[in-house]
Formats: sequence, structure tokens, C-alpha cells
Amino acid sequence: MGNTRVFVCENSIDGIFTAVYDAWSSGYGHNNVRIEEQCEKNSYSNMALFSDYIMVKTDFDKAVKVSRSVRAKISEEAYEMVCKAALSDCQGKGDLIYRFLILGFRMGAGIVNHLSNEVVNKVFKLNRNVNGEVHHFLGFIRFSEHENHVLTAVIHPRNNVLTLVTPHFADRLPNERFVIFDGNRNICSLHVPGKPWVIAEIPEADADDYRCRADDEYGKLWKTFFNSIAIKERTNLKLQRNNLPLRFRKDMTEFIPDKPISEL
Amino acid sequence: MIIQEGMSLQRKLEILSDAAKFDVACTSSGVDRKGTQNGIGNSVACGICHAFSADGRCISLLKVLFTNECIFDCKYCINRSSNDVVRTSFTPRELCELTIEFYRRNYIEGLFLSSGIMVSPNHTMELILEALRMLREDYHFNGYIHCKAIPGTDPALIEALGWYTDRMSINLEFPTAESLKNLAPHKNRKNILKPMRQVQLLRESNHEYLGIRDEGLLPYDGGHRDGGGLILGGGRTDTGDLIHVKGSHMDSGMLSGDSGHMGSSLIIDDGGRTGSGDIILNDGVRTGRKGLVPGDGGHTCQDLASPVEYKGGISLYKKPPIKRSRFVPAGQSTQLIIGATNESDYQIMSVSQALYDSFNLKRVFYSAFVNVNNDSTLPSTQDGPALLREHRLYQADFLLRFYGFRVSELLTEKSPNFNVFLDPKCDWAVRHLELFPVEVNKADYRTLLRVPGIGVNSARRIIAARKSAVLDFKDLKALGVVLKRAVYFITCGGRMMYPVKFNEDFITRELLASSGGTPSFIDKDITYRQLSLFDDVNFKPDEKFIIQRHSPV
Repeated sequence: MGNTRVFVCENSIDGIFTAVYDAWSSGYGHNNVRIEEQCEKNSYSNMALFSDYIMVKTDFDKAVKVSRSVRAKISEEAYEMVCKAALSDCQGKGDLIYRFLILGFRMGAGIVNHLSNEVVNKVFKLNRNVNGEVHHFLGFIRFSEHENHVLTAVIHPRNNVLTLVTPHFADRLPNERFVIFDGNRNICSLHVPGKPWVIAEIPEADADDYRCRADDEYGKLWKTFFNSIAIKERTNLKLQRNNLPLRFRKDMTEFIPDKPISEL
Repeated sequence: MIIQEGMSLQRKLEILSDAAKFDVACTSSGVDRKGTQNGIGNSVACGICHAFSADGRCISLLKVLFTNECIFDCKYCINRSSNDVVRTSFTPRELCELTIEFYRRNYIEGLFLSSGIMVSPNHTMELILEALRMLREDYHFNGYIHCKAIPGTDPALIEALGWYTDRMSINLEFPTAESLKNLAPHKNRKNILKPMRQVQLLRESNHEYLGIRDEGLLPYDGGHRDGGGLILGGGRTDTGDLIHVKGSHMDSGMLSGDSGHMGSSLIIDDGGRTGSGDIILNDGVRTGRKGLVPGDGGHTCQDLASPVEYKGGISLYKKPPIKRSRFVPAGQSTQLIIGATNESDYQIMSVSQALYDSFNLKRVFYSAFVNVNNDSTLPSTQDGPALLREHRLYQADFLLRFYGFRVSELLTEKSPNFNVFLDPKCDWAVRHLELFPVEVNKADYRTLLRVPGIGVNSARRIIAARKSAVLDFKDLKALGVVLKRAVYFITCGGRMMYPVKFNEDFITRELLASSGGTPSFIDKDITYRQLSLFDDVNFKPDEKFIIQRHSPV
């Protein structure tokens, strides 16, 4: 038995699709190849024995070919599932997507319902996780107003949800200039009225520049509202924590103390 | 009365949101609407929660009163006219600014506007209408608006309002007219149900005009909402009738209450029709709709469905339906106060069912009573509001709306309250073991829905997944079925997961044990001890003893 070939690719939809293309066309056989996406979690350690590591250079054309055949030969729904899985922060998603596609090209559109299969079920769960986080952020993102009426927001999502969250706000606030900054990945999405929104990488950025300003009058009003709307007799902090986990709160206006902690 | 001039916006917001906090229904669901070029806002059908307050409830909308001045004297309300509280009101412009600026910052999904009654219902509604018109037309706000209609408002104002709001609600407050009369002397049943019917009819004619079909409550299999006829195991054909007989008699007159005798037509209390009682009697089939609304103003239902002129003077608001615009697109809801009066769960749920069946309501909300005024004629809520009861009512409410249950299956006149230990679905299932176990690989959607531990989502997934494979218990777990409850009621490939003694007591005990024993909030004082031959615990057949007997061994 020969060595396993591990295709190491960039942690992005295009990167994973390129690796899928390369792994498939390498002709080593599905059981002898593996796809591993590069991310902070698995960058240096855990190289397996008896494996050849092949670096995959992201190739846009190859990625487009893969996405085209997924859409044509499986279904749009499967394509969407794969893309969302690729945006999740799950380690090993690249290989999962590869296995999913192998099965998908064999089964066709029915794959999305084949939930009793382990691979399909995992992809389904990744999707649910990503969708859940996107839905959370549709509600929990907090903009604050800066000079020239620019709105900025900071988020720290687990999955790479920025591309899924921004269209909602572009549709909702068509006449606003806004920036949503992902503090975990140092990327941001920008929207300017009348133009399509874009994603930009800003490696040097500081999340504090985008945070809510303490002197925003409406921020204060919102805090007032937030406190007075609660029914004292029904206080249930555990329920509040279930519905609004602590990890979201550091970016939310109503949970940020009026004065910075250093001044308290 | 204290009236302050020149109050700050901050203080106003504090007072008017505090006064609105007991209104439930802070939901933003029901409409999908894309943003517009020149406006601000869109709407998402599933609704979006923007924050959760310290009581764990969702904040979706800017929930405020327009004013907390009020001429009514409802005993349960903090703003009743006899209370000495600081009174204030927003101006329409303040309210618009606040909504838009909150919305831009993504604090809220829209506006939920309720109000005390200033001068008269019509006067208040005119101000509210002006605020909403300004918000929609001047500020081009395209987000969600939920507005409370005040009982006793002119139908023309209600109609005008309906073109600006996504959801309209009129609070029923209490399940029976008698309670309403006692606790809210200025309100009456007729004035609440009449606008509700009007909005329903206008929505229907608007839907007809636009060619929209209202989907049933069990949209998945295109079922009818009178799905009470569902019987597990199949083989029955005349199922609808079965429930019909069971349900019809008990439910009738639930909304009437005025005179207390059953079978009388419920809303017509001025003798418009006799002996019809049709609202509740026909499960879902609405014949004889005419005359359900009191004939006092000379309106037949036909009148209510067509535009009416407002005789109050402001003809400005006589707005013809704009093409493609929708009337109250997210439908109506209402709210019931739980625990201030002594109605049983059975009465409450029957009212909800009647509202869903014949008024086509989207939601009925339940609000555990909090005695804010410390009114001596109302029950004290010192031990906290009746949250468990409220919870059970919501559970049952979902069973009505999404699971095809009828109230008569869950409760009867003899056992009119929900089991505190088991949720209504488990409770129903252990009482109907003859219908179980259900074969997961064969049962239809409605049958699956009736299994404890299987919900709408997991039932759908089961149906999708079994097309490509035979399902086993471990697959069910992966599909999101709650096995610790479902395991007593299902088979996979003809087998149960492990041998189960198929007996009501056994399964009840197991269900209780698997949910961590007696819920801790029921009675904290119960402790377990070794049984003594001597009666040193002073056994008496009191309440505690009964609870103990039911507890897991």
C-alpha cells in the first residue's frame, strides 16, 4: 500500500475546490487522498506518517470548474450546502466536502436528504451551525455612527459569516455607508450606496476603531430602553444567557459599560 | 395627575417602555419584504431577535406606548386612570426619529406601538395613525410595524391603520367576558371582537384581490387546519367527525361567556342571531359568517370588508388600497392575561382554539399576571408570576397550531388544567398508549408529529431521510429527535430501542426520571427519606403527599 497523499489547501471556498479538483484528477483513488485546509488550528503540528504532503495553489479556474459541475450534476442546494460548510470553522471540513461530493456525484440531487449517511449528516450539521450563527448576527450586530454618518460594527464570529451576513444589511440599509469588521479574521465588508458591497482584508486593523462610541446619544437611549423593558418579577439570567450567549456581548452596545473598564 | 412639560426624550422613553413591558408579542415574524431603493428597511419572515432582556425575553421591536395617559381604569394595568404615575406622550416626530435611528444601528427590527387612551379611542388612534403615516411615508420606513388597536375605535380608522402596519393586535385580555367586565370595566367583549373580525375580513378580501392563498396551519402536507381528525394508525376514514362530536359541544360558547349559557352565539349579544353558536361549532368550516359581528352599528360583515368612511371628520385617512400593497400582511394576534382570574386552562385553550379557527389569528399570547398595582381584589403574585402555567399554555398553543391537536384531546371539563409534571404532548401520549408505538419508517407526517420528542423539523427530516435509507435509532438521534422522550413511543424496523413495559405508570415514571425528576420549581420542599414503619412523618392525605406519590421512585 502506498502513502496517503494529503492535499493541503488554502482555507477558503476556492482553495478547497481547487484541492477537490486536484485530488480527484490525480487518479490516486479516493481512499488514498485526503484534503486538509490550512488554518490556525492545524497549521504546523499533526503531520501524519506515511503521507505525502502536496501543497495546492489556489486556482480560480479549477475552482469554477468544480462549482459548475456541482451545480449542474448535483444541485444548487448541494452547492449552497458545500459553500456554507466551507465557511465554517470546523477542522477537516475540506475532506468532509470531498467525501460529500464523491457521494453527491454518485447519488445526484437526493444527497441533501440522505441524512442518515455520516458524511451528509456532518455537512448538514455544519450548515445548521453556520446558518444559526448568521441568524444570530443578523440580530446581534450593533452599528454605531461615526463622522459623516458612517456606520461601523465589530463582530467576532466563529464561522466566517461575513459574506452571508452583509447582503441582509445591504438590502436593509441601501442608503447607508457601513462597515462590518470581523475581528477574528481581520476582514471587513464595505457598503456604499448604489454600489455592490465588497469584502476587504485589513491585516493591520484594530477592532477598537470600529467599536461603538460611548458618546452616541442613541446608544444611551437604547441602554435605557433595554433596561426598562425587562420585567423585574420575571428576571431569568440563565434564560438570557441561553438566548444571548456571553460571547456575543462584548460587541453589543447594551452590554458595554458606560465608562471603559480602566476608568471604573 | 402629574403632567410634566419639557421632559427629556430619555425620560419619556424610560417611562413609556416601562409601561409597555407587559405587552408580549414582541415578534417580528410573518412578512418577507425586500428593501426599497429610496427607503430604509426590510422584513424577514422568520423574524429576528435583536437582544434578550434580563428576563430572558426577546427584544425584537421598539416596544413603547404612544402615551401612558389613560381614561380607562383597568385594575391590572399600571396606567389605569386612578393610579398616580408620571404621564407623558411621544410626539409623532420623536417616535419616528427614535425608530429610524434605532433601526439604523440594528438595535431593532421595527416598531411595536401600543398606547394608553388619551381623550377617546378615536383621538388616540388618530395620533397613532399620524405617527405611522409619517414613519412610512415621510421617513420611508420599510421595516416591521406592529400596532395595537384600541377597542372602540371607528372602523374607518382601523382600516386606515391596517395599510401601514404589518401586524395588528387587539388584546382580548381575559378568556371570559365576565372577567373582562370585572377587571376592565371600560372595555367590553363586543368592542374587542368586532375590530378583530373587521381586520380578518379585510385581510381576506385583500388576499383575494392580490390572489394570495392563506396557508393552513400544517403547511407541510397541505392539510386543513381542522386536522383534529388525525388518528394514528390509519384505517379510520371518518376521523373528522369523531373529533367534531367530541370537540363541538364543549367548545361552544367559550367566547361568549356573557350570559354563561352554552350554545348561544358568542359575539352577538344583542340578539342578532339566535342559536347559531357557529363560530366555534363548525371546526374550521365557516358558514354563516354574516351576523357574527354585532349588528349594532348597522355593519354586516360585507360592510366591514369594504372600505368604510370615517365619520369623525378626518377624511384624510380614507386611503384606497394601493395596488399590490397588503393589508396587515403579518396577520393579527392577541393577548390573554393568565392567573388574574380563575379560568381554567381548558377555558383558556378553548378560547385560543376558537380564535385560531374562526378569527384566523396568527398567534395568541399568554402573559402571566403580575400584580403591579397591588390591587387587593386581584390575586397576589408575591411568589412570582405563574411562569410554569404560562409555559404549559404556550406548549399547548404550539400543539394547536403546528401539530394538529385539538383542545378536546388535551384537556376536558373533568381535568381542566395541564399536568404540571409532564408537558401536554407527553401527557397526551401516555394517556393514549393504544396509538403507540409508531413505526418511524412508515408513519405519515401527522402521525410522527404526535410522538413526544419529535417536532416539526425532525418529522420533516425523517420523511426526507427515509427516502434514501431505512432509519435506525442512531440515525434519529442525528436527525434531532429527542430520544429520551421518543424512545417509549417509536419502533425502528419493528423494534423498540430496548424492552419497554408498555404501561402508563411505567412510562410516566421513566419520562419524569429522564427529565431530571420532579421539576425543581414545582415544590422545593419535597425531600426523599427512608420509609418508616412508624408514622413519624405524620402522613396526611394532603397535597404534598399526592405529589410525592407521583414522583419518580
